[in-house]
Amino acid sequence: MENNLKNELAVGNSEIGVGAERPHSYTNILPYILVFPAVMVILLLYLYPFLASFWKSFISKEGVLSLANYEKTLRLYRYDILFTFGVTAFSTFIATVLSILVAVYLRLSTGWLANSIGVLYRLPIFLPFVVIAQMMRTFLAPHGTLNLFLAKLSLVNIENPLQLFNWIGLTFGFVWKQAPFMILIILGGFQMIDKSYIEAAKSVGAKLPQIITKVLIPMNKPTILIAVTLVFCSLVGCFSFPYMLIGGKSPVTITVDIAHRVNYFGDYGVANALGVFSYILVSLLAIYYVRSMMKKGLYD
Amino acid sequence: MHKSRFRKAVEIIIFSVFIFFLFAPLLSLGIWSVALRWYWPNTLPQKIGFDYWLQALGITKSLTLGAVNVIPAFLLSLGIAIIVVIVTMAIAIPAGYSLAKLKIPALLKGIILILFLLPRAFPQQPVFINLMFMFNKIGLTGTVFGVILVHVVVGLVFAVWITASTFSSIPPELEEAARSVGASRLKAFLKVTLPISTPGLIASAVFVFLTSMDEFTGTFFIGIPFVTTLPMTLYSASGSNIQFASVIAILLLIPSILFMIVIQKFLKAEHLGGIGG
Repeated sequence: MENNLKNELAVGNSEIGVGAERPHSYTNILPYILVFPAVMVILLLYLYPFLASFWKSFISKEGVLSLANYEKTLRLYRYDILFTFGVTAFSTFIATVLSILVAVYLRLSTGWLANSIGVLYRLPIFLPFVVIAQMMRTFLAPHGTLNLFLAKLSLVNIENPLQLFNWIGLTFGFVWKQAPFMILIILGGFQMIDKSYIEAAKSVGAKLPQIITKVLIPMNKPTILIAVTLVFCSLVGCFSFPYMLIGGKSPVTITVDIAHRVNYFGDYGVANALGVFSYILVSLLAIYYVRSMMKKGLYD
Repeated sequence: MHKSRFRKAVEIIIFSVFIFFLFAPLLSLGIWSVALRWYWPNTLPQKIGFDYWLQALGITKSLTLGAVNVIPAFLLSLGIAIIVVIVTMAIAIPAGYSLAKLKIPALLKGIILILFLLPRAFPQQPVFINLMFMFNKIGLTGTVFGVILVHVVVGLVFAVWITASTFSSIPPELEEAARSVGASRLKAFLKVTLPISTPGLIASAVFVFLTSMDEFTGTFFIGIPFVTTLPMTLYSASGSNIQFASVIAILLLIPSILFMIVIQKFLKAEHLGGIGG
């Protein structure tokens, strides 16, 4: 309340200040001059090619307006589109459950174990997917480190190792990289929840599962939704990791198909139609994200 | 008493599983980078050594390992990243300042902000292939300049948000106070706002630096085959030479971890997801 009042006063002051001191016209256009280069870069090098992917997807090889690219895309790649949706949705789901559990643990626990997990879990956030791809290639390969380890524990028959260069390995890598990012965001939200709510729930006999589902998750819903959105959208668009892990196999993700379409066939029409499908996959969450960021008042 | 001991045991088991899945892939990378001979199904390599490291760092020049000197690729990545940071920050600081501090009509501001949110929400790869199509026409594909442009776009989206949120966290009274004693707007900015914002701006610059060092998708379409940055070298090696690729992967993750540990407290959690997508 007091803060609000202070802000209003400050805004009021600044308006008077600018009006009184700088009547020159350049102050009126200064905001636009300063923002112009950044907007131009995004318009030319992002928005134009972004919109081009829509209209190019409707231009056939012969250069006429048609649905031929979509017909071909659905004929050749409908399974890959479903695969992309399935594996990203599944990875996001696993990462969400895992990260909520870890975040709850970190919120409610003390001691050296919790403290060290609280520091160590962040590591994967900082690694790029191209490094993670190489890491998972050594770790998950049929003759890789994980299979060796499991064979040592007699959990896996060494003659018949686990085949993980498929949706399982993809999910493992996705979760390895993104669950820590989700923990960071969700834990931040949990820490905003005052401990008294948790104590109150405990005092009326709530057990841990109830505290999680009745207090922590509902009070933290917007943060969790933002985390889910950012992770799902980034996974649908992730190229390097699927390309390096399962690039030569089938099924693959949309991003891998796009690369093949462009590099082997020079077929931009079908590549763009595939791109539009990847936009459709994220569209609901992407719109939610943009709207909630706009509502949030931007930078707070 | 009994119950708490049971809880502790469960906690330690979960902790061990957590540590295993967190570090085993990293350890795997480390072991492969020094494995000279590793016959299946031995648990550890029979022969270890730094041959691939020496080769990658250009200290030895053997023709039999199939590994090349990656110092030129590293220097290329470094040079591109430095130029990208300078260009991006030169564009992002004024834009961030304008969006956070100056008066722009609400509708226009909304449109600008949506423009900077779209690249974070929608997959970027289709954008890059159309950029490649555009660049093909004007001869920018396969050039360092073309790659720099792509990296600027990727970094700018985050840099504008981070600089805007840095500037908006500074109370307007400070700059007003400077101006009320006769300082010009520029002088008030340079003497008051800029020094206070330095940590946030450095964090933003480091962030842009890392997105450029790690950038894969844009470089893959715009740069290949002539612009071989470090991630591209890793990509080419990963299919054929697992030890060499592991060495490059470790070389790439060192700056990411070092820098991010230093700057993460200056960044909002949401931005951290932008690294190395």
